Amino acid sequence: MKLHNAQKTCWNCPAIDLAGKVDFRACGQSVEAFERGPDQEGDVYVMAECKRRPELGLFDPMGITFEECPEWVETPFGYMLKDMRVMILGIDGYLGWTLALWLGALGFQVSGVDNYSRRDWVMERGSHTVVPIARMTERLQAAREVLGININFRRMDILDRSRLREFIEEVKPEAIVHYAECPSAPYSMIDADHAIEVQRNNVLGTLGLLFIMRDTVPETSLLKLGTMGEYGTPLTGRPIFEGMFPADAVLRWRGREWSLGGELTPRDPVSFYHVSKVQDTFNVYEACKYWWLRSYDIMQGVIYGVHTEQVAADPRLRTRLDIDEWFGTVVNRFVAQAVVGIPLTIYGAGEQIRGFISLQDAMQCMTRLICSPPEPGEYGVVNQMSGYYSIRELAETVARVGRKEFNLPVKIQRVENPRVEADRHPFEPIFERLPNDFGFEPQVSLEEEIYRMFELLTQPEIKARIEQKKHLIIPRTWWSGMKKQVETLELWEE
Amino acid sequence: MPFGLIRDLAAEDAMPNTQQLIAEGVFRRMTSSIPEISSVAWSSVITGTNPGVHGIFGFTDLAPGTYRLVFPNFNSLKAPPFWEWKRSGRSVILNVPSTFPARPLNGVMVAGFVALDLERATYPPSLVPHLREMDYRVDVDAQTAHKSLPLFLQDLEHTLQARIKAYRYLWEREEWDTFVLVFTGTDRLAHFLWDAYEDPTHTYHTAFVNHLRRIDEVIGEIARRITSNDVLMMLSDHGFGKLEYDVYINFFLRQRGFLKLAKDPPRGPQDIADGALAFALDPGRIYFHLKERFPRGPLSRADREALLDELTAAFEELEIEGRKVVQRVYRREEIYTGPQAERGPDLVLLPHDGFNLRGSLKARKLHGKDVFTGKHTHADAFLLVWGEGARESTPDRPSVSDVVHVMEELRERRRG
Repeated sequence: MKLHNAQKTCWNCPAIDLAGKVDFRACGQSVEAFERGPDQEGDVYVMAECKRRPELGLFDPMGITFEECPEWVETPFGYMLKDMRVMILGIDGYLGWTLALWLGALGFQVSGVDNYSRRDWVMERGSHTVVPIARMTERLQAAREVLGININFRRMDILDRSRLREFIEEVKPEAIVHYAECPSAPYSMIDADHAIEVQRNNVLGTLGLLFIMRDTVPETSLLKLGTMGEYGTPLTGRPIFEGMFPADAVLRWRGREWSLGGELTPRDPVSFYHVSKVQDTFNVYEACKYWWLRSYDIMQGVIYGVHTEQVAADPRLRTRLDIDEWFGTVVNRFVAQAVVGIPLTIYGAGEQIRGFISLQDAMQCMTRLICSPPEPGEYGVVNQMSGYYSIRELAETVARVGRKEFNLPVKIQRVENPRVEADRHPFEPIFERLPNDFGFEPQVSLEEEIYRMFELLTQPEIKARIEQKKHLIIPRTWWSGMKKQVETLELWEE
Repeated sequence: MPFGLIRDLAAEDAMPNTQQLIAEGVFRRMTSSIPEISSVAWSSVITGTNPGVHGIFGFTDLAPGTYRLVFPNFNSLKAPPFWEWKRSGRSVILNVPSTFPARPLNGVMVAGFVALDLERATYPPSLVPHLREMDYRVDVDAQTAHKSLPLFLQDLEHTLQARIKAYRYLWEREEWDTFVLVFTGTDRLAHFLWDAYEDPTHTYHTAFVNHLRRIDEVIGEIARRITSNDVLMMLSDHGFGKLEYDVYINFFLRQRGFLKLAKDPPRGPQDIADGALAFALDPGRIYFHLKERFPRGPLSRADREALLDELTAAFEELEIEGRKVVQRVYRREEIYTGPQAERGPDLVLLPHDGFNLRGSLKARKLHGKDVFTGKHTHADAFLLVWGEGARESTPDRPSVSDVVHVMEELRERRRG
């Protein structure tokens, strides 16, 4: 079977230099960008040069496939551009650090920036990562010693545009993974200061990055982390498409009909944090339209888990795991609660349904996306999830694994829902692009990853760290602005 | 520019300086290359050879043994241009098509179309800031003409003025034995506005003629700057005529069953199907899908002869609205000789007046017409040679590959 990206061509490759457009009918050349790509009628050509193989001269960018090009080599995740340079913004975070090691192990040249905001935000809330993590210098050293991976790291705030630009110009990344955002809905709902900080960091950071990419690395793909939460949960039950309506979607109104194909689907964010992601969506979408940047917007489901081969290779290589109400995602929180004997807290009815993906599967998806870059001007959207569950099902799964495999007396409690959200709703997410277009197959089942989390979190040192911060798990941040601990509505024992 | 246009505008006083040179020199109709496009013709002009030697068969080509469309440039040229010949002395080469990227020479060079950036188009690099200061540009922006003819004309004028500045700058500052200056704006003008030239009532007729008037002024300036011992040569690499129909050769090949595509619409030649027998590249170059040449070719050498006959007959019969399209079908063996000849197309079509051959694989019709009103012609380029010995050295019916030989002969004469 052909690899998912075998038929992609130089048109998609970041090593391409799209040098100009020539209309041989009129013996005329144009410096204008590449709006329509290679011309539909076929007489206007985009000329390309390969930055890696200058001996090819000038050629038609559709002429060489990844499968044919010696610069693209086979990996389990598709053809990969040899020594591809990937820059991770937010490399110190839960995902960023994991991805850095994952890509490094595959032979990517990894660089990254971080200003340690995540460490600061968690500290500000009085919490800590329950899986202890090393300082960046130690992390980098351990990556070198244990895995033989050299990561080109620079400490900086991505809002410092001149420094970021300098670093990007120096590294010339062929893909940029943008994880440098504050990923917390409750954090953005604490008060005006926090809402503003989240939006400033996320929206302005991304906007500045887009301008830098336009000016320095327009052929580079941007892999921008969005969230399934951008869509909300439409109460009509309409499917949650992957960013855009499919070609055959139709709007019918008063006896008339219009195609909706290709239009952005409505967004209905559920916190000021989610609003920042929606704003990013539009900023990235416009940049692709105006400047022919190429981007995948990755609508990631709720992430969970602790494991990849690389982070498990040495304690100094572990990625962080937060369990507090602000930065702990639901499965991670549940497992921590189970370990220290707090009933798992489900909000409201617990019938909220969300898409989920394990850490390891998310890394797999990211690799596949990096290996199969979008076309110039393409704003592509994927719903990155491997399955969907109600919160209640998740709690039951965590409880089951905890009881059965670890002999823990796990209880579940329903608490007041501090959020403004529907806690019973239809949910039909479409998540076909990653499996169909990028060859993604989930490798880790929910139970399996939960099992691995229990294994790690029941270790005495980590359990002790959970104990120290367990009071920060029960939410106090209400969307209404109220600050009070939620009340238990119901307690379910086995 | 065609012989006839130069002759007529000179006679009508629009090009008085040219008129004087015609009167004093030798003015000949010249044949272009086959096919009659600038990259092929200019490569012949500067090397004095046919494509079988210089290896440039079109603006596009396929990388050997693949279906990868490539755009040959100066690095692909297999014969040395005259300025790299021994005894050629010091040269200033300004805006010769298909000389990008520039490479070191005894002299100065700014490559012409297709030149992707001024840095790599220029030798020595120290010249670049001066060119930038003049707002020098290699070419008009062809996209402009699609948007607005007035803007296009403005751009054309601006490009011409910058080119004139560059020529003056180099003329005054450089030592040289040979100075080449090419005006390429006339070609763009004629593609978009040939109808304006032919129709004196056309809105842009005057603009068309004025562009040539300004070029004639430069010609006059140059003529005044040279001495009686110098040689002045003027030439065009091809003629021009009215474009009535674009004819899509690959569509015709598909219709007749010679060409099959694996994908519709195809991305490019890579989607030519296994069973295809022949396909065309711009403008009318026919390639046989030979086993020895292409990874998926079904034809053996032995099949070639029969297909030559079959396709020649098919093209000779091709008619559009009662008019024959193809004036002559050339076999490779007839027109190309030299070490590169085997890389050339198997057949090359020379169209009748009015028909513009096109190689688009995506075409869904046999013929059409887009915004272009002028097309290149083969038989009526021109060559004007002024200077002592011009008459003796210039053939009666020169072709583009004779130009540098005429030049060399005149140079030899002066060396005694």
